[in-house]
Amino acid sequence: MKRIALDEPAVVIIGSGAGGGTLAHELTRQGIECVVLEAGPYLKNEDYENDEWKAFNQMAWLDPRTTSGSWRIARDFPSLPAWLVKAVGGTTTHWSGATPRFKEHEFKALSTYGHVEGANLLDWPLTLAEMEPFYERAEMAMGSTHRQGRPALPANNNYKVFANGAERIGYKRYATGPYATNAAPYDGRPASIQDGFNFQGDKSGAKWSIMVREIPRALETGLLDLRPDSHVVRITHDASGKADAVIYADKDGNLHRQSARIVCVAGNSIETPRLLLLSDSARFPNGLANGSDQVGRNYMRHLTGSVYARFDKPVRMYRGETMAGLIADESRHDPSRGFVGGFYMETISLGPAFLAAFVEPGAWGPDFARIMSSYANTAGMWIVGEDMPQADNRITLSTTVRDHLDLPVANVHFDDHDNDVAMREYGYGKAAELYDAVGAIGHHRTPPYPSTHNLGTCRMSDRPEDGVCDRNGRAHEVANLFISDGSQMTTGAAANPTLTIVALAMRQADHLAGELKRGNL
Amino acid sequence: MELTRSAPSGSASSVAVETVAERGYRGIPIGLERGSGSRKLLARMIRVMFPHDGLSDAPYIRAAEAVLALACEKPGRQVAFAAAIQDLMNEGFEAMDDDAALAHLRKMSAADFFTQVQGKALLAFYDDPEVWEHLGYEGPSFDKGGYVNRGFDDLDWLPDPRIDEYDGGEQ
Ligand SMILES: Cc1cc2nc3c(=O)[nH]c(=O)nc-3n(C[C@H](O)[C@H](O)[C@H](O)COP(=O)(O)OP(=O)(O)OC[C@H]3O[C@@H](n4cnc5c(N)ncnc54)[C@H](O)[C@@H]3O)c2cc1C
Repeated sequence: MKRIALDEPAVVIIGSGAGGGTLAHELTRQGIECVVLEAGPYLKNEDYENDEWKAFNQMAWLDPRTTSGSWRIARDFPSLPAWLVKAVGGTTTHWSGATPRFKEHEFKALSTYGHVEGANLLDWPLTLAEMEPFYERAEMAMGSTHRQGRPALPANNNYKVFANGAERIGYKRYATGPYATNAAPYDGRPASIQDGFNFQGDKSGAKWSIMVREIPRALETGLLDLRPDSHVVRITHDASGKADAVIYADKDGNLHRQSARIVCVAGNSIETPRLLLLSDSARFPNGLANGSDQVGRNYMRHLTGSVYARFDKPVRMYRGETMAGLIADESRHDPSRGFVGGFYMETISLGPAFLAAFVEPGAWGPDFARIMSSYANTAGMWIVGEDMPQADNRITLSTTVRDHLDLPVANVHFDDHDNDVAMREYGYGKAAELYDAVGAIGHHRTPPYPSTHNLGTCRMSDRPEDGVCDRNGRAHEVANLFISDGSQMTTGAAANPTLTIVALAMRQADHLAGELKRGNL
Repeated sequence: MELTRSAPSGSASSVAVETVAERGYRGIPIGLERGSGSRKLLARMIRVMFPHDGLSDAPYIRAAEAVLALACEKPGRQVAFAAAIQDLMNEGFEAMDDDAALAHLRKMSAADFFTQVQGKALLAFYDDPEVWEHLGYEGPSFDKGGYVNRGFDDLDWLPDPRIDEYDGGEQ
């Protein structure tokens, strides 16, 4: 593997998830050397666990975090606001695979929805037309089914219930994807064996992740210096205000300083703003690139909720690809439903261990046991829609809790917006209607899980006072600092975010490569 | 990962098994050690919390062991658990029928002792392969080749739906 000297001013990427991993791959393919600093270990397919808690404990980000706000998470899971992964490949190791694109109007949320009381909406400084070629490339890289001629995954049991219910209540836009797990062998990886462990690291290699594709290919170029177990604690800058180095702690807590000519932050929407806030200085007293006071604000987590329905016949939802089922009929903007923006419905399944923990946190007794007893006859869906950015939904540094390095942990503050509540209620109702249409004998409305879609917090904006970075992800205030992960998102759209994170990173890589060649960076 | 108020650790059942096997219930006898009856009382309490007809006592006992292991992690907690369990014994909890026992637990459900038992027992109990089997869950599947040839699509009480996207145009 490539070794880049600590005193060589390098292109440094912080985090190896959807954003950082894609960027490293694209840059090294274009002949540009990079250092990737990843806080977590380098685990491979054979290390992954086919067991919910074992997989979670092996790879999830378990460093403490704190919570505040009126969301139920602050009460039920006060130290676990989000489900993110700390390992090479980031959260794409635990992701499921749904890859819808954002829609044209979702890049223009403010113009389309108008002013929404309490929301901090903004139009993206990018359009769908500009994103389309990158969406195309991202779908090719991730192997999305139903796209560029790739076949659909077959219908599993959970999907059969879901799709029949959809048809019966008049929905039309249902399918088993787009989904970034191979239905047929593709790109050197096998077809799905339908093992049902999709929220865990995938042992078979059929599921796309940064670990399985971008990292090995970037390493093959000989230009990537990948440093796992390297937790970045500060980005420093020179007298002119340009980033000049990154300080990180290794496994044993020893500090190292990597010189940098470009720094790309891709630690996810909680750790990226935390790192900028931790990198304060006399010149940037509120945190690096935070003159606008926008770093950490507008944290979005998607409006979510699940409905688990019971039947008098077996379903066995846990067999097969977990989220290979998607209904897009409600993903439109139609304020007559009582809210702005839209949502998708997607199949979901949890094993008994996770279902017990998340179906109704804190519940016990005969009614709860009945939900669990019906396990084999249960079908499940997830509702995922656009939530409103709000200035006070934000990541700040905890004033009470510090991590193993003695750094303040992130506090995640979140209040639901009325629009979020209205959309969730509507979605729950539609899900119940769908399952009733295929003979459900009962259903349960499950509140949002610890956030799996973490967005915003360093958003793109045309005007520096409205956000943190520009249309290329470059920080408004620091010319050689880039935001390269889900924190760039100006608004969240209804679609699962990873395809868009990957497409944005590809676009940023092209921009960076061009600027480097032109000698502008 | 602990989902209740205590600090992160390994998976509930693995921690429990390890702790019980290696260390026993630590410290001076205060009613949580083996043979003290605490395990049986907790197992009964957990069955009232998570009643599943036809399931043997074994997984309830294992969940009780996980709770005891949690209790014995810290001296303060150990004492508090011992006192709370003693109260339940004095109140004749084990002799109560299902309805009375449920009503009794409802009354104490805001207590710290109760929420800790509920949180830990839930994690351990539903992570137990014997419980999985009872509920009809098959556990790890990769080693068996997944479900691609073992029924991922064996649901036969509904017609086979379309899997491709709708071709009737945009909405
Ligand atoms: C169970 C689950 C299912 C999901 N399913 C889907 C789905 O079907 N479709 C979809 O689109 N999305 C899905 N997601 C979401 C998806 O995984 C994320 O949107 C995506 O991975 C986010 O990319 P990112 O680059 O922003 O961050 P991440 O992928 O989280 O990567 C961030 C990386 O940075 C590292 N890091 C953080 N701080 C530091 C530091 N200080 N120093 C060094 N390294 C650091 C982290 O360890 C991590 O590896 C799912 C997520 C989960 C948990």
